[in-house]
Amino acid sequence: MRTGDTNQKYGTAGRSRRDVVRAAALVALVGTTGSLTGCGLFDGEPDPPPAPDPLAPLIGGALDLAARYEATIAAFPELADRLRPLAEAHRAHAAELARVTRTTLPSATVAPSTSAGDSGAVTAAATLKQLREAEQQGRDAAAKVCTEAPADRAALVGSITAARASHLEVLR
Amino acid sequence: MSEALAAALAAEHAAIYAYGPIGVHLDGDAADQARSAEAAHRSRRDSLILLLTGKGGTVPVAAPAYALPFPVTDEASALRLAVEVEERTGAVWRAALPATEGAQRGSALNGLTDAAVRATRWRRAAGVTPATVPFPGRPA
Repeated sequence: MRTGDTNQKYGTAGRSRRDVVRAAALVALVGTTGSLTGCGLFDGEPDPPPAPDPLAPLIGGALDLAARYEATIAAFPELADRLRPLAEAHRAHAAELARVTRTTLPSATVAPSTSAGDSGAVTAAATLKQLREAEQQGRDAAAKVCTEAPADRAALVGSITAARASHLEVLR
Repeated sequence: MSEALAAALAAEHAAIYAYGPIGVHLDGDAADQARSAEAAHRSRRDSLILLLTGKGGTVPVAAPAYALPFPVTDEASALRLAVEVEERTGAVWRAALPATEGAQRGSALNGLTDAAVRATRWRRAAGVTPATVPFPGRPA
């Protein structure tokens, strides 16, 4: 962008000495990096980042759901027996998705921010309702990815969809 | 694709058969649940028969009887069989996912998801914990 402006300045008449100096400095700067792009100083654009893996949002969703359950268990220990298997399932989903997509999971997702952040006022029933909504959204998101997934990923994403749907039964 | 769907049809035939002895040993809510589960399996069976007939491939027919994995003699064994029927059906639908695409992928996913939900319901009715599995339909 800035090099483009510089180029235009070269075309204008009556440029000051300072402009010339500045432009020369910019060209020198661009020259050192610009040669890497190979084609043209001013039309060279950086390579577009690789398209995100379609499974990536499911990893984030699984970690978020796991964190929500863990926060709920911390706030309402009486729900631990019921909810811990669900939290563990989401962690297992994230791990499997990371393996398939060859990505590394962020280490230690502490500080579950979303749901039970300000407990005290929040009741267990309200938290379970939020979890139900989050699971429903997660199920729908996974179902969409499953129907569009290539054959070698369809079964895994199908199982994750089915697991999220089955969690709703436990949250009833 | 047709092979995987034919396997799903065979599984649905077996599931419908199994809900006979299951229903006999249940009452109240569990009996209602068994009836609606059986109806759901019949509906999937009918859709599969239509689909496979339309494709002109082989359409598996129901066997006159199926060997149950264990005798169903009381409520506990009926619930246990119901869990197992749904787990097996779910596994067959899961196996159909890679072999399908588009709308048929969608119905295979519904087959897997519904089976997983019913399996969870039956585990809860039977007092099995945890009531869920992390990867429904995946071979152990």
